[in-house]
Amino acid sequence: MEFQSCFDIIGPIMVGPSSSHTAGVVSIGKFIHEWIGGCPEKADIVFYDSFAETYQGHGTDKALLGGLLGMDTDDSRIKHSLEWAKESGMQYEFDFEDSCIQFDHPNTTIVTAKRGGCTVKVGGASIGGGLSKIFMINDEMVDIRLSTDEDLAALVKQYHQELTINQK
Amino acid sequence: MEIQSMTELIEACQREQKTIGEIMLMMEAEKSGKDEETIIHMMEERLIKMKEAVDSGTADASAAPSGISGGDAVKMSNYISQGKALSGSYIGDAMTFSMATSESNARMGVIVATPTAGAAGILPGVLFSLHKNDGYAYKDLVMGLFTASMLGYVIANRSFISGAAGGCQAEVGSATAMAAGTIVELKGGTPAQAVNATALAMKSLLGLVCDPVAGLVEVPCIKRNVIGTSIAFSAADLSLAGVESRIPCDEVIEAMYRVGKEMPRTLKETALGGLATTETGKRVKDQLSCRKKNL
Repeated sequence: MEFQSCFDIIGPIMVGPSSSHTAGVVSIGKFIHEWIGGCPEKADIVFYDSFAETYQGHGTDKALLGGLLGMDTDDSRIKHSLEWAKESGMQYEFDFEDSCIQFDHPNTTIVTAKRGGCTVKVGGASIGGGLSKIFMINDEMVDIRLSTDEDLAALVKQYHQELTINQK
Repeated sequence: MEIQSMTELIEACQREQKTIGEIMLMMEAEKSGKDEETIIHMMEERLIKMKEAVDSGTADASAAPSGISGGDAVKMSNYISQGKALSGSYIGDAMTFSMATSESNARMGVIVATPTAGAAGILPGVLFSLHKNDGYAYKDLVMGLFTASMLGYVIANRSFISGAAGGCQAEVGSATAMAAGTIVELKGGTPAQAVNATALAMKSLLGLVCDPVAGLVEVPCIKRNVIGTSIAFSAADLSLAGVESRIPCDEVIEAMYRVGKEMPRTLKETALGGLATTETGKRVKDQLSCRKKNL
């Protein structure tokens, strides 16, 4: 039984147009925002496969930048997140590739984000219905499930500790 | 408590002397540990977001970023307000509100996925039409959302609800089936009649493919949401009249699953078949990708 709650059916509350190409992507961006403790000064973003093909019509770029800026899935400012990014002095660059060798899914992105002395490289995939997955942090493979109403700050804190311990 | 089929659902309603919506509420409270008041409040929050999307969509004639949708909800609203709609005010209003929601979705407005963003127009369309034409209060509509989610919960766990997994029959088909059962329950029909309406609606959309032009949730998705509301009302009327689906609802859902599994990949949201690969569909895709390259 994959669906467990009435809110898995009625929800999430989100900006359109696609739960997989928009809502799930905001969560990936927000995860990175929490990981580096705020808006990145610079973000290099690679969109793969279906994201690279249809990002413009689905606002996948806006969704990811919105998340990096700390916005939630239902934040109506996401529509204008390119302008918001400029305003907050965030530099970003998008690249487009056919398929991702690290993770086999059509809705995949890898983001390298820098803030202060901290740089992180995160791989995320949006797996449908607003759910997404972080599959890589700094070249280490992980499996972190994100839903749109997750407490991302708490989740990040937990994995931050685990990975730091592993690296020692 | 756990509900795994429509048959179990009808039995639970009889045993507990509750409506489908009340069973969902009870099950959610049991599973989540939250009290019913909190859960009702959370659902109300979703209803209010739906209403905001309906209102902003009805007043907005602007195009979506792609340029291939937008402005039709305003047209529908003007037409319906003249009182000349052939399909009457229930379906007419539902079509307008559904169009408004799905156009808002295409413009990156805030919507509620019901059960997905691509099928987000149908339930709000039907519910706010009942609100306008029959005076149903918001608290009734919130209970309607519990009915809808219970029906969707069974469909989602026995089959699928996304176009990528099972074609449009799984997405607009499921949403329409949920809406049909919800109308019946709100109109005072029995749980068995609500489930029967769900079956009738789903049967009429069985086999519907997911073939979005340029891969966007716009053409034909928006208008399929709109027409889905009229199928929901028709199925509800049939069921309230006592007309029964010859195939029981659980078997219809099972058939939807099999059809979805057999459906080729080209017709499951990949934009590699159907309307997406018509002459016009391909031209739209080329135009949009030229724009991308020129950025």
